[in-house]
Order: sequence, then structure tokens, then C-alpha cells
Amino acid sequence: MSTLEPWDVFRQEKDGDPMRHGGSVMAPDAELAVHYARELFGRRQESVRLWVVRRADVLDLDDPDLLQPPLDRSFKKPGGYVMRDKLAAARRASGQPKPRARPG
Amino acid sequence: MTPTPVPTPTPASATGLPVDALDALLRSMADDEFVIGFSDSEWTGIAPILEEDIAMSSLSQDELGHAAALYGLLAELLGGDADADALAYDREPDQYRHARLLDHGRGDWAMTIARRYLYETADAVRLAALTGGSWAPLTGLVGKMVREERYHAMHIGAWLERLAAARGEPRDRLETALAAVAPDAATVFAALEGEADLVQAGILAAPMAELAERWQAAISPTLSRLGLRIPSSTAASASRGRTDHGEPFAWLWSEFTMVRRSDPGAAW
Repeated sequence: MSTLEPWDVFRQEKDGDPMRHGGSVMAPDAELAVHYARELFGRRQESVRLWVVRRADVLDLDDPDLLQPPLDRSFKKPGGYVMRDKLAAARRASGQPKPRARPG
Repeated sequence: MTPTPVPTPTPASATGLPVDALDALLRSMADDEFVIGFSDSEWTGIAPILEEDIAMSSLSQDELGHAAALYGLLAELLGGDADADALAYDREPDQYRHARLLDHGRGDWAMTIARRYLYETADAVRLAALTGGSWAPLTGLVGKMVREERYHAMHIGAWLERLAAARGEPRDRLETALAAVAPDAATVFAALEGEADLVQAGILAAPMAELAERWQAAISPTLSRLGLRIPSSTAASASRGRTDHGEPFAWLWSEFTMVRRSDPGAAW
């Protein structure tokens, strides 16, 4: 058998669900990768769709300068910014009631 | 494994069905699926790579599922105290009616691929000849089996191509295996007792000898493109096509009946 390489498998459990990473398989080529993905992530009818992606084709970004810069970036996070009072004031000004929660 | 639900057949006696010929047909198909399913399941834990180990084990379970459904249909056809488990496990080795092709043990990986390729392609032709037949319980089951066999054909075709394309040992072993099974390749189409009645009743589209020719025509383009031997459409020992299984099957039988025989009559 030719050289094995990793393939990542994304699966959808039911129509409308997002594709989620299920795991990976080792295979020598795309055809067998699809077969093995089917056996490992679909043989119990647990998936309605699979995406099989060659690991080498994934654009991998893990550079800390890009993803984890050293300076304080807390001002980019919404946690410290309280909207509640401003929203209440805006509603009073416009005369609109607070929308009710959507059913379901 | 989730057992395939078996459609309830109309009582055989009431409909003028060719019961003996249907018995022979269902028994041959069920025994084929049971024997190749059990035999290929021997790869569990020792296949070339983990992924293939899981794939081959899963395919084998599919075949055992087909066997269970076919034995269930046969038991309902026979009525009385006939029982799928008893049909699968309680017969003596010389009462099994699988094709002699499957008496070639799993051997090395190339033998398993060669045997399975010839069997899967033959089974596909047989299933096609049963599709749209006049006996609804069987055509319903065949429709479900065909959907699973489609994947089996893709899987085994991929392996045949790879072993054939690999120069050196893989190709040599594949050629050796195909030569070893060639005399028995067409035994899947050994004539069934009463098969004319099945054709007459519209259950089977054509006699087995004609299906054997369809099978050979179906596989010839692939095998000749790969430069591989095309097996004859007539078995070397047609009269023993599904009988006289010999020592390798006696061993396999002792394996698959071992637990059942350890406590006869037990409720599992």
C-alpha cells in the first residue's frame, strides 16, 4: 500500500445541522479515505453527510503573533461593556416596549 | 448489528408458490452471505491497517445481516418450527449450500480480495435478476440488500484496482489467488433444483447458466483492462457447485457453531 496520510472528516448528524469535526482517518488516497470515513463515521447511520478533507490541504494558522498577541486586548471583548442601561434608556426615549422572547 | 426487518410472506401453501425451488434459492443465497460474512470477519483485529480492519469487519457484518434476513424469510416460507438461528447453526457441514468458491479460505489479503471481488460481482448479477420479481417478500428484501451491496462493490473494486496496479508482490499474490479460485468462480451460478419453476413463476429473471454469462460479461472489461485472468462462466465441477465442501469448510463450520454447540437448546 502506498504511503498513508491523514484525512479529516466532518459530519452532519441531520439535515440543517452544522458540519462538525468528527475525527480523522489514515488513507493512501481520496477514494479509500471516503470509504474509511463512511465506515468510521457513517456505518451506524449516524451521519447524513460527510466532508472528507486532506489534512495537507487545510490552511493551518497557529502563529501566536496573529492569534495570541501579547498586549492587552480586553477592550475588544464585549464582557466589560454593559448594554442594559443604555438599551433601557433608548426604549424609554422611543416609547417601544421590550420585545418578548421568541416562542420555542 | 440491527437486523433487517423481514417482510411477512403470504402463506406458501395458499398461493401455489414453487416452495421447494424457493427453498433452494433462499438457502443458497443465505448460506453464501453467511459463509463469506463469517469467513471475512476473521480479519477483525489483523487487517492491514486499522481503518481497513473496521471496514472489512463492517462489510462482514452487513453480509451476516443479509444472511439473517434471508434465513428469516426461509423460516417463514417453511413455517412450522423452522427458525433462522437453527437454519444458520444447527445443520451438519454437508447440508450447507453455499458456493464452492467460498470454500477457499480467506488466505492472505490478496485471496480475500480476489474471492470477494468474484463473489460480490456475481451476487450483484443474481440480485439484479431477482429485482422486480413476482414474490414481494423477496423483492422487498432484495431492494434493501442492493443498496448496501452498492457500497461493497465500490470497496472491493477499489482494492482490486490497487493490488493489480501495484507491481511486484501485491500483483503476484493477486494473480496467484485469482488462478486458485478460477475453477470455482462460477459456482455461485450452479444450477438450482427447480430453478425453471422460479423462472416460470417470474421470481427469477433467467436461469443460472444465463446469469453466469451476464456475470462474465460484466467483469470482463475491468479484468481485461487490468490484464487479469477472466474466469470461465462454467465451473470446473458444476455438479458439485454447492455441495461436497470438504475440509476447509468443516473447520470453518466447527468455528461458527462452537458456541451454539457448547450448550444445545440454550436461550441466548
